[in-house]
Amino acid sequence: MKISDLTDNTGEWLRGTGPQSDIVISSRIRLARNVARFPFLSMANVKQKKELEETIRDKIKDADISQDLCYLNLADITPVDRLFLVERHLISRDHAGGEGERGVAFGKSETVSLMVNEEDHLRIQVIRSGFELKEAWKTIDEIDNKLEKRLNYAYSSRFGYLTACPTNVGTGMRASVMLHLPALGMTHHIEKVFNAVMKLGLVVRGLYGEGTQVSGDLYQISNQFTLGKSETEIIEIIESVIPRITSYERMARKSLISESREQLEDRVWRSYGMLKVARLISSEEIMHLLSQVRMGVNLGIINDIEMKTLNELFILTLPGHLQKLEGRELNSTQRNIIRASYVRKRLEK
Amino acid sequence: MKCESCNKKHATVHLTEIVGTVKKERHLCEECAQSINTHLTKIPSPTEILTSLINQVAPEINEMSKIVCPVCGLSYLEFRSHGRLGCAMDYTIFRKGLIPLLEKMHSSTQHIGKVPSRAGKELIKKNELMQLRNELNKAVEKEDYERAAELRDKIYEFSGENDED
Repeated sequence: MKISDLTDNTGEWLRGTGPQSDIVISSRIRLARNVARFPFLSMANVKQKKELEETIRDKIKDADISQDLCYLNLADITPVDRLFLVERHLISRDHAGGEGERGVAFGKSETVSLMVNEEDHLRIQVIRSGFELKEAWKTIDEIDNKLEKRLNYAYSSRFGYLTACPTNVGTGMRASVMLHLPALGMTHHIEKVFNAVMKLGLVVRGLYGEGTQVSGDLYQISNQFTLGKSETEIIEIIESVIPRITSYERMARKSLISESREQLEDRVWRSYGMLKVARLISSEEIMHLLSQVRMGVNLGIINDIEMKTLNELFILTLPGHLQKLEGRELNSTQRNIIRASYVRKRLEK
Repeated sequence: MKCESCNKKHATVHLTEIVGTVKKERHLCEECAQSINTHLTKIPSPTEILTSLINQVAPEINEMSKIVCPVCGLSYLEFRSHGRLGCAMDYTIFRKGLIPLLEKMHSSTQHIGKVPSRAGKELIKKNELMQLRNELNKAVEKEDYERAAELRDKIYEFSGENDED
């Protein structure tokens, strides 16, 4: 499989199905693991990094995780390809911008990805569409068990799985749920939600995790603690919070409809109109427009566009994807033109 | 004000010297001040300023500052400035400094989650017991005594003895 094979489709997690998928876009779990008797990457030399990369790559192959798993060495591909993989959520920004021997393995459905030599020697990730953290945990736990039989993980009975950054030590697990919360943003209730969430030891981040800006009313809620709670406990905490946030968002949507139906419909239709006619759209503007239209579809205001198409457009109109689509590097004005024409074409269908 | 010694650079060091009853003021640039009167004008180095600051904010750092991991070569100070550890052994070598940090980050310093099967059956059992006890505490807090009794029986069964400790 080549990267260009991915451009026509998107990962299964964007298909817009699964529990509460009107608000919960996806559920993701990642595990951080290191191999015993090797230094963590910041202290590893070139030779050790290479040895780690080769060993882990072989063990991943040997573990028979999925039949169609393909492996890419990130040092061998172009920066645009790496950006493309970041936008796909298959690798992290740090992994893309890193140096030396490093790679990623992922399957055709893009549900599973394994990053080799990121901040830790190995980072396993599972993403599913909708609110399905438990299922994601089941899958990732099985993959981890298979790899654990082949790799001697750095582990201590006191501190659990040992990681390069102490914020990940213990379970090494970050469980997160991506939410679309436009109405809570419009009614200025979003801050309240965040304060409540933070009290439970959870954090709120933007679309691409740590340090990224919130755009398109998309938020990621994930656990902060990784030590002192079991994986199941952490998942249960998140699982108990999400339904409260989704029902709060639904209430906010309802009150918007009952109090200012015309204004809401106008906003949604204007956004839809812009997407259909605009000739230049920036990446920031498109997130906002897509967010409004997505809510319009959920509320039954717009009926002629599929949720899957909208979810996909959030990703397919990002800079790396547009450049991949065109097969060349583009400056921001060129991207804005191509973004607008691409969206027009997708919405004509 | 220009330096009264070299007359070129800006005077940044202002000295007041009192010899007997005579008070003498001197205005010098940093370079001249150091070359003329090193014992009087010893300016603390950035490292010294940092160390004194660290001492006030996080006293454990000074205590740990000389510790270097014999396996990976990372010093505790390097760890504190970059936030990344160098190898698994650092968790043992820097333990004293790490424990309060972990407590602050996670409100805990003991792992109770998954155990790799390689770590041995005993450890897996120990961790499962810890998880059950955790659940028991929660059930008691919630006054769910039915669940608490269930968990208690499980703990007895699991540990093969009355769980008194």
